[in-house]
Amino acid sequence: MSQLKPLLLVENLGISTVQDPRTLINDVTFEIHAGEAVGVVGESGSGKTLTSLSILGLLPRGVAVTAGSVNYNGMNLTTASPQQIRELRGSAISMVYQDPMTALNPVMKIGKQLLEVIESHEKLDANSDQRVRDALKEVGIPDVARAMQSYPHEFSGGMRQRVMIAMALLLSPKLLIADEPTTALDVTIQQQILSLVAEQRQKRNMSMLWITHDLGVVANLVDRLIVMYAGRIVESGTVKEIFTNPQHPYTAGLLSSLPTTADKSRKRLTSIAGVPQKPWLVGQSCAFAPRCFKVQPECRTQIPHLVGNLEKSVACFHPMGAL
Amino acid sequence: MSLVISNIEKQYKILATGTVINALNGISVTLRKGQTLGIVGESGCGKSTLARVVSGLEKPTIGTVTWANEKIKDKAKNHWRPHHSKVQLVFQDPYSSLNPRQQLGESIAEALRVHKLVTKDKIETRVDELLSIVGLTPDLKHRYPPQLSGGQRQRVSIARALASEPELLILDEPVSALDVSVRAEVMNLLIDLRSKFGLTYIFISHDLGMIRYISDVIAVMYLGKIVEYGNWEQIIERPMHPYTQALIAAMPDHSIIGNPETLAKTLQGEVPDPANLPTGCAFHVRCSIAVGACSERVPVLLEMSPEHLVACPEVKS
Repeated sequence: MSQLKPLLLVENLGISTVQDPRTLINDVTFEIHAGEAVGVVGESGSGKTLTSLSILGLLPRGVAVTAGSVNYNGMNLTTASPQQIRELRGSAISMVYQDPMTALNPVMKIGKQLLEVIESHEKLDANSDQRVRDALKEVGIPDVARAMQSYPHEFSGGMRQRVMIAMALLLSPKLLIADEPTTALDVTIQQQILSLVAEQRQKRNMSMLWITHDLGVVANLVDRLIVMYAGRIVESGTVKEIFTNPQHPYTAGLLSSLPTTADKSRKRLTSIAGVPQKPWLVGQSCAFAPRCFKVQPECRTQIPHLVGNLEKSVACFHPMGAL
Repeated sequence: MSLVISNIEKQYKILATGTVINALNGISVTLRKGQTLGIVGESGCGKSTLARVVSGLEKPTIGTVTWANEKIKDKAKNHWRPHHSKVQLVFQDPYSSLNPRQQLGESIAEALRVHKLVTKDKIETRVDELLSIVGLTPDLKHRYPPQLSGGQRQRVSIARALASEPELLILDEPVSALDVSVRAEVMNLLIDLRSKFGLTYIFISHDLGMIRYISDVIAVMYLGKIVEYGNWEQIIERPMHPYTQALIAAMPDHSIIGNPETLAKTLQGEVPDPANLPTGCAFHVRCSIAVGACSERVPVLLEMSPEHLVACPEVKS
């Protein structure tokens, strides 16, 4: 797989606030190949959302890319013109957000909102209406004709998320970026959405970047995982490697802090003491050092870099070692 | 039995339209002292309404709640205080349940003063003591809520609930708003406090993983009713109601990996509008084993095996 050119290549990405520069993301490098699904896990403040927003040039005001590059199909998105990014956005790369209520226009009918997606990239024709209908039908919206004439607030949370997915898939993107799209949903509805996305990805051979704080959600959805902590990637690898053989003490701690159905004895949960550091306060050290049970003097004076390959990489001077 | 919840119904009327929402439709459950009852269900199932009714914040439309043989009284103000000191509620979001302009020590001291449990000169010592009970250093008492992390803030909420020396603690999604790595700490704290003070818990969550971890008995709720009740092993390992089975299948579990097939077993449809409940069994419109009669008969909880109750006539023991 690594011989092929990746569809998306993020290299040494750095993101900071513009005024009073504070580093939010540091040295983030990863790649996504055609048809591959990659998950990004991290807690609030780990930088997972900023990383995903930077791909499509959607960083909030006052925050900017300060280092590195984002390459999509050989094109550097960090230096591309707004016009070039607009052409990609919504067609080749599309995005699904956590809260469809804020991502959808509350005062525009669903049908029109989807037609706008087509209109922003191609000319509308006699066929467009049918394409929108098909897209809504494909994501499991009942009574499509009525849905086209409805406003976002008339749908339930799960149905709104389906509309968002229909919108994102409308122009057959090569890469779908999803930022916690199921976090606000009930578990049975979450399951429906995950199953829908998995099915569509398979069918379209689409690449996917799935952002989440919930390891359980991505365990059966993606091929590879990236674990972020305080603005850096601390570990990455195949789902199997990360879950069965975590190398970074943070990943290992996170996994053992979750209750699982495999644990029949309900033994005490392992917790990670302390709270995550702010990325801009870390300095020349491992950000996890203050909470790490394996900490050594060099962890407090040097920054560990991500070392390894696509199967398995870890940024740690004293990884967990073999099982 | 220490806690007896008997045939609770709670209706809300939407004044503008006159529509009646049936939030709770006949909830009966009992709990022994020192035990933890886990209540699990999706949004709109009535789990938070039940918490408010049991704590006395809301008056049930029908039914009674008794704690240690004392009935939770109606809204007469002087009847509240003794009950509130014994039954305390911890909310999901410590960002909104703590006053952002009040020093944390003051938040806890206020609870002590309201319940008149210590004399004025002992308040400060007691505040320090409560903070250390929940694993915080007493110097945090001069800080304000925004200066603390989510986990620390939730600890303060717990300390404040403990100020009145309660016997029953109702925990409404106490870890859902916290980051994954600090959830375990708060869960462990709750388990330690339970054994240290002999507390009885009602633990409400949509997260079966956490429910499974802390509960002795579990009640599964769907649209204002308990559909299954049993000890934690019965519910998690041998669920009988089709809804419980679907919930467990949908629970994100990282002990199964790389198997996209697990995503396929999904429950169809969505939770119906509580203002317009389906007839008969409210679950029949989404149920995989529903038969024609399910739209007519209202199922009751029946004992399938000792202390394992299921509200579904199609389930055989």
